Order: sequence, then C-alpha cells, then structure tokens
Amino acid sequence: MNALSKVQIGQVQTVAQLQTQDITIRRKLMALGITPGSSLVLEQRFPSYVVKVGYTRAALDREIAASIFVR
Amino acid sequence: MNCHQCQKNCYSIKQKHSWWTRLTKKYRKEPLLAIDGNIALVGTPNVGKSVLFNRLTGNYVTVSNYPGTTVEVSRGIAKIKDYQIRVIDTPGMYSLVPISEEEQVSRDLLLEESLDMVIHVVDAKNLGRMLPLTFQLMEAGLTVILAINMIDEAEQLGLKVEPDALKIELGIPVVVMSAALNRGVRELKQTILQLLSFQPEPDSANVEMVR
Amino acid sequence: MTNPIIYPEPIEQAIASLENWLQSIGEQNILRHYSLSPRSLALLLLQKDPTIWQTLKQDDKQQQEVEVLLTVAENQLQYPVDLAIAESREKHARNLAGITIQTTQPAANSTQEILHRLSVNPITGFPILMVILYFGVYKFVGEFGAGELVDRIEGFFEGQINPIVNQIVAQILPWQPLQDLIGNDYGIITLGIRYATAIVLPVVATYFLMFSLLEDSGYLPRMSLMLDRLFKSIGLSGRAVIPMVLGLGCDTMATMVTRTLETKRERLIATFLLSLAVPCAAQWGVILGLLAQKPAALMVWGGLIVAIFLFVGYLSAKFFPGTSGAFYLEIPPLRLPKLGNILTKTWIRMKWYFWEILPLFIWASVLIWLGKLTGLFDLIIRGIEPFAVAIGMPPDTAPIFLYGFFRRDYGAAGLFDIQQQGGLTGNQLVVAAVVLTLFLPCIAQLQIMIKEQGLKTTAIMVAFIVPFAFLIGYCVNLFLNVLGVTL
Ligand SMILES: Nc1nc2c(ncn2[C@@H]2O[C@H](COP(=O)(O)OP(=O)(O)O)[C@@H](O)[C@H]2O)c(=O)[nH]1
Ligand SMILES: [Mg+2]
Repeated sequence: MNALSKVQIGQVQTVAQLQTQDITIRRKLMALGITPGSSLVLEQRFPSYVVKVGYTRAALDREIAASIFVR
Repeated sequence: MNCHQCQKNCYSIKQKHSWWTRLTKKYRKEPLLAIDGNIALVGTPNVGKSVLFNRLTGNYVTVSNYPGTTVEVSRGIAKIKDYQIRVIDTPGMYSLVPISEEEQVSRDLLLEESLDMVIHVVDAKNLGRMLPLTFQLMEAGLTVILAINMIDEAEQLGLKVEPDALKIELGIPVVVMSAALNRGVRELKQTILQLLSFQPEPDSANVEMVR
Repeated sequence: MTNPIIYPEPIEQAIASLENWLQSIGEQNILRHYSLSPRSLALLLLQKDPTIWQTLKQDDKQQQEVEVLLTVAENQLQYPVDLAIAESREKHARNLAGITIQTTQPAANSTQEILHRLSVNPITGFPILMVILYFGVYKFVGEFGAGELVDRIEGFFEGQINPIVNQIVAQILPWQPLQDLIGNDYGIITLGIRYATAIVLPVVATYFLMFSLLEDSGYLPRMSLMLDRLFKSIGLSGRAVIPMVLGLGCDTMATMVTRTLETKRERLIATFLLSLAVPCAAQWGVILGLLAQKPAALMVWGGLIVAIFLFVGYLSAKFFPGTSGAFYLEIPPLRLPKLGNILTKTWIRMKWYFWEILPLFIWASVLIWLGKLTGLFDLIIRGIEPFAVAIGMPPDTAPIFLYGFFRRDYGAAGLFDIQQQGGLTGNQLVVAAVVLTLFLPCIAQLQIMIKEQGLKTTAIMVAFIVPFAFLIGYCVNLFLNVLGVTL
C-alpha cells in the first residue's frame, strides 16, 4: 500500500483505502468517485494534486490527498 | 450571483403565472389547469441542469462551466403541449446526505416539497459515478426520470450509450440527450407527460404529437 | 417503485427494523413530515444524516430507540455502516454503467487535453495566468473599456448631452436651484446618469464579458487549483478564488457567492477581504484608466493593494481561530464558450448592475442637491477637508470621499471627473486611488453583508475599514514625500 505522495505520475492505480477520521472528507472523495476498489491516475502534485477517475478530473489539496492509499 | 436574479425571477414568475391563469381561465374555452405538475431537476454539479431548465422553461438562469454556479433554487413554468408544469432548478448534489450548504438547499427541497417527479440529470461520461444518486432518489419513493446528458461529449470520446438494458434493470424511464445541442429534449418532454399520465403509452403518443 | 439495491444482510435487517419502528410509532413519529419513503429515512438514519438526527433529537425516547437499532447493525457488520451502504451502491452502479456504456475507441490526446495540461502545469500555468490577466484585465477592461469606451461616451455626454440639458433646464425652469437638480454640476442627468452610463457601465460591461468567457471555458476551476496554496496562507482555500475574481467585477455579487465556501471562518475572511481590498470593476477600471499614463503610479497602487490583500488576509488567518477549508474541486473539461450564453449572461448581469446603481446615483444627486440647498453639504465637505488635506489632497477633492460613501464606483467616477479638470499630481492621484479602493463597500454590498454575516460583524468590519483606509492614505503620502518621490 502506497501513499499518493509516493506513487508515480501518469500510471493507473487502484485505490486500496481511504484513511481519514473525517467523515466529510470520505464523503467528498466518494462523491468524486474515489472509493476503495476504483482506479485513478495521478496527474500532478504541484501546486495541487490532480487525479483522474474515469472521465472525471479533480483537484485535491495535500491534506485530502494524504488520506488516499493505493495498491 | 444568481440569487438576485433568481429571487427576481421567481417573483415575476409567480406574478406572471397568477395573472396568466386568471386570463386564461376567463378567456379560454378549454381551461388550462393552474399547474399540472411539479418537477425538480437534480444531480451532480455541472451536468447541465441549468441548461435544461432554460430549455424547458425559457427562463434564463446562469449557466457556467464550473461546479457551484447555482446556489439557490429557481422555479419556472414549462409549457408542454397544453400542460403547464412547474420546473425547479436546484444547486448540485452528490448524494442525499449533503456536504456543503448548496447541497443542503437541494436536499431540503426534496425533503419538504411535494414533487410529482424528479429528473435526475447525469453526465454520460461519468454515468457509473452518478448512478448511486439515482438509486437514492428511487429509494426515497420519488418518481424518477434518468436523463443521460452530454451525450455529444461522450460520443466524441468514443463512448456508446445503450440505455435499453439500464431501463429494464432500473425500471424507470431513461432518456439520452444533449441539453446544450437540444438533442433528446423532445423525448424528455414526452416522457414527462407520460409519467404524469397525461398521455397514453409511447406508440399512440406519436399520433398525439402529430395531431 | 421497486428497490434498486439490496444491501448486505445486516443492513437490510436494520432497515427492516427501522421501517417497522417508524410504522409502529405512527402519528407520533417526529420524522413524519419528511416526504421520503420509510426505507429512505431508515437509510439516512443509518448514514447519520445530520439534519434528520437533529430532528430526532427533539424526542429523547425515539432517539434512544433508533440508537439501539443502529448499534445492533454496526456490531454485526464490524465495518462502518455508511461505507458498506456506499459500496453496495457503487458496485451496482459500476455494473449498470458497464452494460450501458461501451468504449468503441480509445480517446485520443485532444487539443482540449493539451490545453488543460498547459493551464495547470506550474511551469506554463502561471505565465498563462499572467497573460490572461494582462490581456483580459489590463488591455481589454482597462485600456479598452475604461479608456476608449469611457472617453467616447463621456465625451459624448460632455459635448452633446450636458450642454443641451443645461440649456433646456435654464429655459424651462425659472428657479436656479431647480435647474441644479436636473442639470449643471451636480444634476440628476448631468452627474447621476452620466456617472452611471458613461463611466461605470462601459467598465462593468467589458469586465462581465471577459468574466463570462473565463467562466464558460472552464478556466476558473483551474485558476482555483493553481492558487489554492497561496490562498491557504490567507485563511482561504482555492474555492475562494472564484468569488474573489467575481468580486473584481462586483463585490455585491461576490459576497453572495461566498456561500459556496465550506467553513464559517472562510466565509468571514472572504467577506472581509472583499469589502476591504478587492475593488470592483468600476472602481479599478476607472483608476486603471486614470493611472494608465503613469506606469510607476500604477505599479505603486496595484502593488500596494495586492500587498494589503495578502497581508490583511494573513493577519486575519492568524486572528480568526480555525483552519482553512479542505480543498477539493471537480475540474470540468475545457469547453468552447457558446456565444449565445456569453452574451445573455453578460447582458443579464449588466442589466442587473445598471438598475442597481442607477437609482442610487440619482438619489445621490438629489441628496447632494438637498445638502447644497440647506448648506449641509458644505458643512460635511468642510468636515472632510482636513482629512483630505492630511493625506495630501487639495481641499476640493473632499466631495469624492463623500461620493465614496454612497458607492465605491461613484467615488471613482468623481475622481475621474476631477482629474479630467486637470487637478491632481501623480502622488495625489495614487493616494486618492488607494484610499478610495480600500474605502467603504457600497450600500448594496453592505446590505448583503448584513444579510449573510449579521449586523454586528458588518459594523465591526466597517469600523475597521474607514480609519484604516485613511491611515494607509496618510502613510503612503508621508512615505512618498519623505522619499521625495514624484509619480
Ligand atoms: N457539450 C455539452 N455541454 C453541455 C451540455 N449540457 C450542459 N453543458 C455545459 O456544461 C456546463 C454546465 O452546465 P450547467 O447547466 O450550468 O450545469 P449545472 O451545474 O448542472 O446547472 C456549461 O458549460 C454547459 O454549457 C451538453 O449536453 N453538451
Ligand atoms: Mg446550475
């Protein structure tokens, strides 16, 4: 299991887990389609994280991105 | 930024409507019912609800290409054949459990208003992500039409949408459309009338339309 | 309607028992008035929906009963209930999407995609942002709107309309004060309507046009993403970028749009910064037009306002407890703006703005007229004069600060007028521009602030802003003088 800050940019990853105590962050991520089992591609980390889930693209700040762990 | 406009809009619509019904009741042979239905457009932000609202009602609410354009409810009247149907445009919502204030606005509407029907507008490109809300609307006991919008963009990306199996699986009407290009809006209107049982089933409906 | 989803057994059991419970208490059920099915209510309770739970709290007994049922379900699942519910839904959704959507060809790397990459890549993205600001804001709104258009329409007023009005008024109205109400220096037509249509409207119209283009192309969310980190340091998040950019058009509209921000703190800071350091289009447009011939003066004014924006933001982030809202934003595809929508939107906003200011400008003319008639105007002006002099302005600029009280754009228009008559040095122009930029928000904005933040908060903000504006003006003047700079 890898933190999003460690993975390579541009490769398909499978979300393993959302590690956060904050229920609203979990809801936000789920609303964007980022749930355990879904696949995503990390596109960039600076100035904000940008991920693509299917045809959806989303910007996340570091704190939210830190709760995503991929396989 | 819609708020001012919207409040003004809503107000003038109400005014216009009572004036209009009074007029029509007096002078029309076939009386139009005041309001034949009350429907809401719901769905994730930025899927085209406001464009569809503008198409259905002819009123303008702000359309922009980013989530969070619409922060308040606006109401308008759609005239479909001889029926007058109240259409409500809502801020975006991701699920029935709201996260932000705009979502709360939409959810409260669903909780408190008596709606004859909701049209769940989704983005064809992201159907999988948006269907969970369809399920929740159905579970809530609402009459739901699923409007798969932005079909033009999906096609450009090489996606093909075959809604038949989905219709059967869900057991609700599914319309494939592009609000921006005015594709499928007629089918949607027809489906609305059918579901409000103002029109017989599809086959004879076409005959009606021609007449 | 049939159930679209069957959840895992423990959840279905919990739903069933909650449904039974809802039925059993019948009329006493305090959730009764919600127009949702029992199954849906049960699911919302299981997901700990805040509103529904709040309602339930009104009845201790019912709340306890629900809690017992919930605990049973949670123990059986050994897994957060809301996650389990979401997962069942998503799995089913994925299956259904799979049978509905067929991929016929892999998506090619389109122009859209390339443009997106360029706009969010830090190396190319920030320069692109600068280019957009330079052409969209400086060239189009500043030079074309506030320069070209204002000069022409204003010239038309001064050359054609005002003389005619003055002449007609002089002939049909026998009484001098009555002539002054309609025409001459402070008349409803020669001042109020002229300010609204000749000075403010062209600037606002060009800005709204440009803003609509940005909105419809989908550039704004990309701008949010680029600026999130910067905004975090002033207690806001990338989400606040959109209201701030809108505020550069009209702060009143922008104050309403702060609703899209998540935390109370963020809304408070955004509202405060909007009222202090974000000039509206009419204001900065006119100022840009005035300072355009003096690049150094323009830099001082612009740099100072940006610095105050950042510094005051930084301080308020320290001062107000709490953290910035988390930033997450869906980034829509870049789309080719539709001309029809751009024009309609610009037109509607312009119309709204115009009808918002016109009555106020007319009222201002009437009030000034009344004030002049009763001598009150001169009294107030004399009260303001010392302040104007203290910040290095000639005494006859005092009226523009009074105008500023009516509306920010009105004050800017007044400044424009004085400068047309050739009155100010570069230094004075900068000081006046700075003070007027920071000065009071307009009446419409105050109303919205009171509505959104309450009277007390608004009053505190205003009590800070007015002296602060003059203080900064004083400092700038002092500084320029001490350093011996002439702009
Ligand atoms: N290509 C395409 N764009 C659309 C369609 N419907 C809406 N849009 C665009 O999607 C964006 C969001 O539309 P809007 O109605 O504001 O979405 P809302 O947030 O759901 O109300 C706008 O830029 C529209 O022009 C469509 O069917 N096809
Ligand atoms: Mg909308």
